[in-house]
Amino acid sequence: MESVIRVEKLVKSYGRFMALHGLDLDVARGEVHGFLGPNGAGKSTTIRVLLGLLKADAGHVEVLGGDPWRDVVALHRRLAYVPGEVSLWPGLTGGEAIDLLGNLRGGLDEARRAHLVERFELDTTKRGRQYSKGNKQKVALVAALSSNVELLVLDEPTSGLDPLMEMVFQEEIEAEKAKGRSVLLSSHILSEAEALADRVSIIRDGVVVETGTLDQLRHRTRTSIRATLEQAPETLTEFAFVDDARFDGTHFRGAVEAERVGEAMALLGRYGIAALTVSPASLEDLFLRHYGEGVPATASGGTTAGEPSPREHSDYVPPAVDGGPAHGGPERPHGRHSAAGEGA
Amino acid sequence: MGGRLTGTRHLLYVALRQDRKSIAPWIALISVLSASSVLVYDWVFPDPQTQQILQLNVTANPAMALIFGRPVDLTTADGFNAWRAGALGAFFSGLMAIFIVVRNSRAEEDSGRAELVASGVIGREARPAVAVAMAFIASVLLGVVSALVTIAFGGGVANSAMLSATFAASAMLFAGVGVIAAQIGSDARSANTIAVTVLGALFVVRGYIDSSGAPDWAVWLTPFGWLQETKPAVDNIWWPLALVFALAVALVAVGLALHARRDFGMGLVAPRPGPPRAGAVGNLWGLALRLHRSALVSWMVGFAVLGLLLGFLANTVTDVIAENPGIAQVLASGAVSQEDLVAEFLLTMIRILGIYAAVHGVQIVMRLYAEEMEYRADPLLGGAVSRSAHLASHAVIAFLSTALGMVVAGSVMGWVADSTGDTIGFTDVVGQSIATIPAVWVLVGLALAVVGAHPSKRLAGWMGVVATFALTILGPMFNLDEWVLDISPLWHVPNVQATDPAWSGLAWLALVAVLFTTVGFVGYRRRDIG
Repeated sequence: MESVIRVEKLVKSYGRFMALHGLDLDVARGEVHGFLGPNGAGKSTTIRVLLGLLKADAGHVEVLGGDPWRDVVALHRRLAYVPGEVSLWPGLTGGEAIDLLGNLRGGLDEARRAHLVERFELDTTKRGRQYSKGNKQKVALVAALSSNVELLVLDEPTSGLDPLMEMVFQEEIEAEKAKGRSVLLSSHILSEAEALADRVSIIRDGVVVETGTLDQLRHRTRTSIRATLEQAPETLTEFAFVDDARFDGTHFRGAVEAERVGEAMALLGRYGIAALTVSPASLEDLFLRHYGEGVPATASGGTTAGEPSPREHSDYVPPAVDGGPAHGGPERPHGRHSAAGEGA
Repeated sequence: MGGRLTGTRHLLYVALRQDRKSIAPWIALISVLSASSVLVYDWVFPDPQTQQILQLNVTANPAMALIFGRPVDLTTADGFNAWRAGALGAFFSGLMAIFIVVRNSRAEEDSGRAELVASGVIGREARPAVAVAMAFIASVLLGVVSALVTIAFGGGVANSAMLSATFAASAMLFAGVGVIAAQIGSDARSANTIAVTVLGALFVVRGYIDSSGAPDWAVWLTPFGWLQETKPAVDNIWWPLALVFALAVALVAVGLALHARRDFGMGLVAPRPGPPRAGAVGNLWGLALRLHRSALVSWMVGFAVLGLLLGFLANTVTDVIAENPGIAQVLASGAVSQEDLVAEFLLTMIRILGIYAAVHGVQIVMRLYAEEMEYRADPLLGGAVSRSAHLASHAVIAFLSTALGMVVAGSVMGWVADSTGDTIGFTDVVGQSIATIPAVWVLVGLALAVVGAHPSKRLAGWMGVVATFALTILGPMFNLDEWVLDISPLWHVPNVQATDPAWSGLAWLALVAVLFTTVGFVGYRRRDIG
């Protein structure tokens, strides 16, 4: 299948701190690709490399068949970007900002602009400094979604939207997808990715640790089963293939690999099933599996774990890994105020 | 502490820790300004004869009084210091205080950090009070450090203390101006603009009064004059400082009262709804123009006003010179003619205009970087915009606007000088102003080079302006070697009135400006954004 984004072995450092070490990412044409990971994992750094804002130290990066560092202008006519932290010009109105950003991409679809302004309930006559975080994001979203582009690069576009607007966003992304547009959607809102993404890549400490369709990912993980049986088994030996199998009287709970669900059902059936819940792993489970258990992502992951990328706005401090420090990141370049890691 | 100031102490502690790195360079700069004049004086002017020549030279060029104030007694190291560092030191102290106050009140609000603080157990006036307290602490520190350093380098104890006290008083006064501006402005940038405009205007008025032979009472028209009336190193009169301090306290009180009447994050003037569609601002160039619009307007007004003042000054120069018996003697001896003195005065004034223009140009270039730091370059460069086009949209404004400024100031000055007297011609002034433009562009180019290629070294952009000022205005007085003076781009500007102007200087300046600009553009294409 044709790729709109192809990244191989991407490396990017800020001074001595390595934000990305050997990241691979592939986004196919026409898909919504969820790019998941907590703040500080390297999502924004990756996206900024894809946009040619940062220069890759090593690796191969291809966007829409071009080199994002060299072919900036030509490529950017074909893509639209919503930054993670939308900063508007304080004196410009939202409407002016939308038009400006649209014009810089080669023009806006007027009907679509009007439609989106209405759907997002955006007051376009307010000045940049008057907008709340969510409204700033709406301005950037309207500008991006009303451009005629092949690829949308969205960096945590909904972190400030209310649930109603989140719904609108999801509907509009579905509409974009129906038109054949490709979307790279970076997020840490898992329900959003679950609802929209055809495929997801999970990033951790600057490398993609898991990638595939949700079904594929689920398949690689365990399904949890809860059941109330008519009679309790005498021993647990039969349940050896079930992880964490536990009986509390006739109440059973445990988890099995996806391909052994049938086997588990057959076994439970022998004791008579009175009530049953079988839940495939949610994205949240997948996510927590990579982040909650303290497994280093790479051989060297343990030493760099938890260092947020200098550009990301992190309030997330991962747990210490292998005794590695759960400390904050390095100073931002040029001594800029660092929000990263201040909680540590 | 009472309810309205609850939490001030904790906040002050944190703020001081955060801000000390930004305050220290100012204190160092001003202390060095004072100490250096004491240090070099005995070395450059070792005997009464050279000291007399200095006094004469300075008096003969009223443009010097425009910047430094009236020379009182330049025959002692402390007297020289009081003249050279007095007005300038008060100016920079004021600048320091304004930036401290705005940074710690208004800029904190803009960033949203203040919101976090305001939601804590904190009195309503605590935040502006902390900002003012910091400025006052910095003022006192400045006074103490500057005095100690100057004394250590050989300054008289009482004289140095008096001079340094005027710096501290000036800082406190402009802390008061700053806290009022922080309430009026709709964000930190406009608050800074308001306060610095007040500072600059008062400084220029002071300069005009000092250099135009105005009557003695006129000195009292600006607070800078009050500071001068302490007559450091001559009479050391302390009571005018009480006046300055009282005014400072009154201004702070007004500022705090205004603060209580203002909504968080807003200026006193509520923002009005704007156009829902982008007109001229809908492209890169329109945006750059809009971003710089208010600065351009105020700077152009500044150029015109400065031109006006210098124009009026140009014809008083002959009177001022004639009043001085020493100069009359020199003139009588035939060593220099009155025309020479007028020409020298004119050149100095146009060099001052050039430095003013350079500050304007460098500020425009620095704004580009500020935009980048506030994440506003990302969405632009995320569009179909090349790095070069983005840099060019600001660079072109910086080049054109500085050139326009020189033409405006030169024209106004020439017109006023030409119509009020017969020593100075319109074309001479305008011609000299235009000839100065390439030198200004060298400094703008330097700023472009550092911001484009290496923004972490962007201070070099300002250092270029400061070095040019020091070398051009003070260098000749210190008898510096020609090669040192040659570092200043303004030194290569030909005198268009000369019989055989050295036009080649312009070509060299243009070449250097092009070189710097190229470095900026190439560097900006190659570096990471943010």
